Amino acid sequence: MIRTRHGIMLLAPLALVLVGFFLVPVIMMLPTSFREYQPGLGLAPGTWTLENYTQIVTDDYYREVISRTLGLGLLVTLACLLLGYPVAYLIARGPDRWRVPLILLVVFPMMLNLVVRSFGWIALLANHGLVNNLLIELGLISSPLKLMFNLTGLMIGLTHIYLPFMVLMLVVAIRNVPRDVEAAAAVLGSTRVHVFAAVTLPLSAPGILAGSILVFVLTISALVTPRMLGGPTYKVMATLIYDEYMQLLDWPSGSALSFALTFMAVGVIWLSSRLTKRWAGMA
Amino acid sequence: MNTEDDRGVDPGVTAFALAVIVFLQIPVIVVVLAAFSTTSYLTIPPQGLTFAWFGKVLSDPTYLSAIRMSLILACGSTAISLVVGVAAAYALLRKAFPGAEAITSFLMAPLVLPAVVIGVALLQYFSLTGLRGSLLGLLMAHVVITSPYIVRSALASLSGVDLATEEAARVLGANGLEAFRLVTLPLIVPGLVAGALFSFITSLDNVPVTIFLISANQTTLPVLIFTSVEMGIDPSVAAVSTLLIFATGVVLLFAERRFGFHRFV
Repeated sequence: MIRTRHGIMLLAPLALVLVGFFLVPVIMMLPTSFREYQPGLGLAPGTWTLENYTQIVTDDYYREVISRTLGLGLLVTLACLLLGYPVAYLIARGPDRWRVPLILLVVFPMMLNLVVRSFGWIALLANHGLVNNLLIELGLISSPLKLMFNLTGLMIGLTHIYLPFMVLMLVVAIRNVPRDVEAAAAVLGSTRVHVFAAVTLPLSAPGILAGSILVFVLTISALVTPRMLGGPTYKVMATLIYDEYMQLLDWPSGSALSFALTFMAVGVIWLSSRLTKRWAGMA
Repeated sequence: MNTEDDRGVDPGVTAFALAVIVFLQIPVIVVVLAAFSTTSYLTIPPQGLTFAWFGKVLSDPTYLSAIRMSLILACGSTAISLVVGVAAAYALLRKAFPGAEAITSFLMAPLVLPAVVIGVALLQYFSLTGLRGSLLGLLMAHVVITSPYIVRSALASLSGVDLATEEAARVLGANGLEAFRLVTLPLIVPGLVAGALFSFITSLDNVPVTIFLISANQTTLPVLIFTSVEMGIDPSVAAVSTLLIFATGVVLLFAERRFGFHRFV
């Protein structure tokens, strides 16, 4: 055992960095979100307002961006779950010698630079990108499909980017399902599909929840991919915040939106941890 | 019991899963092909083969200084995060502080907050304190986003080390630092390597925090690619991306061979 004094000395450097460069900056953004924005001047001196927050719920444009962000979060999470579960199942229950190569193939795109992956999707999905060129050459379409700067492009790009996270969470969950229970169900006459539906799927539910929460929160927070595949016009919350700060220099609106986004991300995580605890309590 | 082998995965499920794995590699393959193409727009199959774009990137001072800046930030922040992160994790595990659980949540908090929020908060803070455009500010911002990975892997690795081994070393006359360095550290190295790799990649990957904080001559590689794409697709972006793809692949295979990396993801 080490003494408390030593413990505090070991903990202090990181704690101080996080207080000084994370906690204080975030807290200092709070007053900004109640200030009034004056075009050209930035913060209007002396006045305080709730406007920045009320406009998030009343302004049609902001509401559209927020519902688009949340809708995208749900769709990407669902797509990752549907595509990811079979992959995770193959890794967890497939041949042993496949396991490590398959995990590495899932991890490799995840380790790869995000801008590089998004750039790859631009090359594929642009008007003169590979997908459109290929379809036109094959004579399947006559004019390019619109695959970028819209929901389709963001769906494809974000699903690709967050799929590995989902797969890795699900692999752990499926491997934790005792094979004996599956075997017992099979011995008792269950078909393969029924064993899956009645045993494997419900027992991997905690992993499904954890993976879904992770992908949802990552998706609603994403800046790089939505910006690269959505362009300056098709906005989500993170790209809207980016523009409020970088283009409009409207810090009050930007900081209010930042707190709204943080509230959503943290709220979802908090809700899920409550849910997990309740499940654990029932077991 | 031989049930594990005869109850394999349904062939349909296997085929679907393999197709998804291929989907995961598609953008990677496309970028690499584009980098070797002689045409300045992308075609499949590539028209001709050239290394010209690589030459262009490696002689372009903008790219070189961006690569240099990215490496300085990634190495610097990972090194700092390793020292302060392992120390903090060690203190949390070895001495039950009042509220150790709350402290751990606080150390992990930068992972929970959207990165763009950390970015704009630091933008305002640095503008007020005059840290904007300073290397120190940038490094500290990267320590904030990388340290949770180190703390997480250090906590996981340290909790697997028996306290008694370190105490035995103390009894035999080692001081606290010696006991840690000679006994505990070697046992947690594989986990720390995995954590350091995640930290390094997180820093090297970061746009949403960095882009708000850099001055004109501090552009990092991902920020450069991110901003140059808005001006149109250029094969030199594909070339520099391909260099990153190979570097990532080599590092991943090395980490797997040497430390069994897949156990830590």
